[in-house]
Amino acid sequence: MKHYLYLNWQSARQALGKIVRQPFGSLLTLLMLSIALALPLSLYLSVSSIQEWAGRLTATPQITLFMEQSAEEADLAAVSSTLTKHPRIQSFQFIGKKQALSDLEKRNGLAGLSEGLTDNPLPDAFVVTPKTLEPHELEMLQKELSGLPMVETAQFDARWAKRLYGMVEMGKQLTWFLGAALGIALVLVTYNAVRMQILARRDEIEVAKLIGAPDSFIRRPFMYHAMWQGLLAGLAAWGLTSWLVVTANPAIHEFAQLYNEAVSLRGLTPVELAVVLAVSALLAMLGARLASDHHLRQIQPR
Amino acid sequence: MIQFDQVTKRYPGGNEALKNLSFTIDTGEMVFLAGHSGAGKSTLLKLVAGIERATSGSVIVSGQNLSKLRNSQIPYVRQHIGMVFQDHKLLFDRSVFDNVMLPLDIIGFDRRDAARRVRAALDKVGLLSKEKTMPIRLSGGEQQRLCIARAVVHRPSLLLADEPSANLDRAYALDIMELFKSFHQVGVSVVISAHDETLMEDYGRRIIRLKEGQFAA
Repeated sequence: MKHYLYLNWQSARQALGKIVRQPFGSLLTLLMLSIALALPLSLYLSVSSIQEWAGRLTATPQITLFMEQSAEEADLAAVSSTLTKHPRIQSFQFIGKKQALSDLEKRNGLAGLSEGLTDNPLPDAFVVTPKTLEPHELEMLQKELSGLPMVETAQFDARWAKRLYGMVEMGKQLTWFLGAALGIALVLVTYNAVRMQILARRDEIEVAKLIGAPDSFIRRPFMYHAMWQGLLAGLAAWGLTSWLVVTANPAIHEFAQLYNEAVSLRGLTPVELAVVLAVSALLAMLGARLASDHHLRQIQPR
Repeated sequence: MIQFDQVTKRYPGGNEALKNLSFTIDTGEMVFLAGHSGAGKSTLLKLVAGIERATSGSVIVSGQNLSKLRNSQIPYVRQHIGMVFQDHKLLFDRSVFDNVMLPLDIIGFDRRDAARRVRAALDKVGLLSKEKTMPIRLSGGEQQRLCIARAVVHRPSLLLADEPSANLDRAYALDIMELFKSFHQVGVSVVISAHDETLMEDYGRRIIRLKEGQFAA
């Protein structure tokens, strides 16, 4: 076991040394890999920045529950406790009929309106902010809430919710698609790079096999080379996206200012960076593994 | 050490290189393989090293039946064999030292112990002063001795040499034979093939003579 670790450590060190000694040899591959990573990453950051901003918008879909006129304190308390316990509801606000009327007077300059009325015609209402953005779930929630005792109607603006949800969903889908496509590209690029390396070192591999090298020994340097390349490409892609964030943010701020919004593109969090590095290293190693499995079998000593 | 039982080797295309061959080579024995080129000497050595597989019959090396081993197990058999090639099969992109280091790297020797062993092997073949030289700058005889150093550095129990002296003049060839004899004296089984029998006869060892894949009369 100790011996096995030692072999791997040796290989990892030598592979890194090779990249450091001949930086231009691997530069082209590295560039291709980092661009393939940077594209979906930028899209991911854009979409998640938009999503973050959308979450802060005051206009997130809300469901308004209008109570029946005959509703009494006990009914209000019952609805209020249901809403408090409901798992799909983020928060809610109670607007009593008196408050509603005074709001209406203030807002529309209808001072004295209540004096002309014998009865307050406005109902008690709850404004509910759901946790979900998904239109179907919102509809279900609306139906459920409208079925509560003494609730007359539950209203919400479905169109707005659908649009916002659709946009964010589309961005996510696009990110996944682009991520998957370029992930495959990453595997293929390393596959090809390793294939070239294997063919270039054909003699060496043949001799090594002749004197008893198992496939794992021959494969190891290629695997580590791919791993380092994946890690470096991940770091380079992180650099590219950070550069994008830094250069694009002033323009985005200025634009958002026109609408009185504070929007900014965010960079990768440390956890996300770790995930990106791990994924790019693993994909590169997958490419190297496929290439070596395929081509090492073809090199047999004669 | 080596046991052939009714071994036939037919190459694709129908060429029969070995025909129903049976013999045994004992542990610690030194044996010569004689015969013209095309007699099957190389094929025989390749079967022992697991480079080729017998078409029929069984090849047993150090108690392992090679015909029954999976491809992935063959490397571990080879790690106990030292091989010397007519064309040396050296790696020209690395120094004399690193060429000899390769088998120890494969077995996974600790680097410091390995360096000591590499120098011992180079010293044995008289190349210690050239450890930093690139193989391309060595003479033919020196390249062959480098190949021998690489074959013995991991102390194999069996040494196979395919025409080790074919391209060398007689003085060099004798040199090399003396080297093999010295390995034999420390207990290594040695099989050497050559088409020039005059070199072998001085040693008084068993000679297996092949002709068209069979024992020559």
